[in-house]
Amino acid sequence: MTNIEIGRALRSGVSGCVVGCRVSQMDVPEFGGMVSIPLDDGSKIFGLITDIHIDDDGLVRQLVTAENISAEVIEDNRLNRNVPVEISVLFIGYELDGQYRHLLPPRPPLSLLAIYPCGEQEISAFVSTGRMGYLRHILRAVDLPVAELVAAHIRQAGTIQKKIGKVEWTETATRELIILLRDDYSTLNTVLSSLADTGSFR
Amino acid sequence: MTENPQSAGRNIGYIVGGGLRENLRIRLTVDPQEVQEGAFIVVESAGWFFYGLVTDLALGATDPRFADEQSEKRLPAELARLLHGQTLYTTLEMLPALMMETGPEPGSPGYDEWANFHQEGESGILPIKTIPSHHAAARLARASDVAQIFGSPDKPGNFVLGFTREQGLPVCVDLKKMIQRSAGIFGATGSGKSFLTRIVLAGLIQQDLASTLIFDMHNEYGWDDTASDTNEKVHGLRSKFSTKVRMVGLGRDNTVRGQSPDLYLEIGEEDITPEDIELLSRTLNLRETTPTTLEALQQSYGREWFHQFRAMKVGVMIEGEDGKKIPAPESVAFWANETGVNVAAAEGLRSKLNRVFDLPYVVTNKMENTLQDIITNLAQGKHVVLSFGKHENDLDYLLVTNILTRRIRETWETKVNAYRSNPGTTPEPRQLVVVVEEAHKLLNREMASQTTFSTIARELRKYYVTLLVIDQRPSQIYDEVMSQLGTRISGWLGDEDDIHAVLSGLAGRDALRGMLAHLQPKEEVLMLGWGVPMPILLRTRRYDDTFWKELKGDLEGKKSPEEQLKKLGF
Repeated sequence: MTNIEIGRALRSGVSGCVVGCRVSQMDVPEFGGMVSIPLDDGSKIFGLITDIHIDDDGLVRQLVTAENISAEVIEDNRLNRNVPVEISVLFIGYELDGQYRHLLPPRPPLSLLAIYPCGEQEISAFVSTGRMGYLRHILRAVDLPVAELVAAHIRQAGTIQKKIGKVEWTETATRELIILLRDDYSTLNTVLSSLADTGSFR
Repeated sequence: MTENPQSAGRNIGYIVGGGLRENLRIRLTVDPQEVQEGAFIVVESAGWFFYGLVTDLALGATDPRFADEQSEKRLPAELARLLHGQTLYTTLEMLPALMMETGPEPGSPGYDEWANFHQEGESGILPIKTIPSHHAAARLARASDVAQIFGSPDKPGNFVLGFTREQGLPVCVDLKKMIQRSAGIFGATGSGKSFLTRIVLAGLIQQDLASTLIFDMHNEYGWDDTASDTNEKVHGLRSKFSTKVRMVGLGRDNTVRGQSPDLYLEIGEEDITPEDIELLSRTLNLRETTPTTLEALQQSYGREWFHQFRAMKVGVMIEGEDGKKIPAPESVAFWANETGVNVAAAEGLRSKLNRVFDLPYVVTNKMENTLQDIITNLAQGKHVVLSFGKHENDLDYLLVTNILTRRIRETWETKVNAYRSNPGTTPEPRQLVVVVEEAHKLLNREMASQTTFSTIARELRKYYVTLLVIDQRPSQIYDEVMSQLGTRISGWLGDEDDIHAVLSGLAGRDALRGMLAHLQPKEEVLMLGWGVPMPILLRTRRYDDTFWKELKGDLEGKKSPEEQLKKLGF
């Protein structure tokens, strides 16, 4: 976990949450990035960023129709918004007593709990645990752009693993994805196309 | 031949289904090109080894669309490879044949109890009775597996006939067991039957397991020859076993490859019986009246019937007392009238038998009793190659083989009966293998019931005589005879009926049919039947100088130290 807080929980469930953040915090989170939410009992929930959503507010609606808006006004509106930027997070596991589990957390995080991007060590430890069971949480999320999400995660985690010498991880993860999706021809095809576009494969 | 370390014993997949009736299905985890039809594979499951053969390989896909689409053109190579590895697969079909309990590890709890239950020296190999569990690992056979089932090449009595195709592991045959029942070597022309037969015969002679009588219709087995395809020298059995093999030429004028035989076989007129002539009905186009006429001849002249009939003339007439023309006393008609036989039938038979009467090796006065010499040699443990030389048409073959085998049958039956009556004082008869080329000519449906060969195939096992049948058209051999062939070794056969005939009466024949049809045209054979523990596909040994070096080397190696010293002059 890094020390850079990227927001706080707005609403949550056991399968995911929505985090609110300021525009100034927006240069850190990225689609598919792995984040963690430390809970008060010492445990930690892990998730992937599945969406970053910027809603309009009344002032923006007025401004978009106005003429000759100055740069200062645009800047002020972006930074001092009434409505926060919303980041959707899909939970993929948690850590309890120092052990990583690829299961959904027993309880959702409370509102306003801080959320942090995961550090490389943490990501490596989480994805190296077990047999990549967390992938099923991603593949089950039919309302999400699953293929793009998987590709973004594999690229991020694969790059980190490669750095520490685990060069086979990307191949192992891809093989696991193929096994999980081999009865779903269209989804698997989309996922593989996305993975091909990450440039992780020769 | 050395074992290929790349493939021997390597895991190739795991059980995904099947059963005893429908064979076992194995999902391959290696490229399909690494396993071939006929490969000997072993499945290990719950303390048992299951042995079997690959009978089919089939491509499959988790979804047909994965197979239809050439994803390697759309995806990076690495990704396509991973996709193919999980969605496209090969299923291997295994014909399970044998199983063996491996038992606990020596020294582990329960081993002593298991070892006590299983007698020492007991192989524990059983015909297949159950199946391995799901996901049990399958692997290509190791040298130890092949040796476990087919015997170790180092053990005396085991004869290496060939090698497994993929791994090149030596496969032995127990020749002693093989010759306890009649056997057959089959294959289309050019498939290497003669070479394989030479190898088997060389093994039999070298191990001194039986006497062999070889009806060498095409003059291949005795003297050295030249291979028709490679023009290389092919050693004959007489050349290599000069003291053990006797060459017999049919007729006084017989030379083979420019060499004179040890003995000349002439058939005395008294050696030919009416039954011998009846056997030639088809060849000589004899009529239904023939048996009656022959019976009358034998009643008139006894053992001299052939000589007397040969001397008779057709159509010779003299003038009678009343001036009418009547048959002359030396004529066929005269004899027919005297004995009440139809004249036309007798004259017709006399004319048709001209082909037999004209045979140069059928003589009135034999210079030597070679028939008896052959039998004596065989009884003494020698081997006889009867070369037909230039007399190689069906008439020669049918007549001579039948006369000779009839004699053998009589002699061996007498010997065995004497031995069984007084086993203490009478020596045990020598096992005899009669090698019959172009067997369908003697053992077809029409002839089989009449020739001595069918009796040998059916009954003479008990009398220490068996057949080694060599043929390219097994479908033409009478099924009752085929069913008696214990061991069958078959090279490539093109005809579906021939394939069916070779596999008749054997378990798993449907699965083996494809294997037999897909054999390479040369040097690949399927060995199956009673004489081998399970069907096995072999690349046969090459019949060349190396073979002889190894064979003779074995011979030297198995001599006792005393014999070896004696040979060195001590």
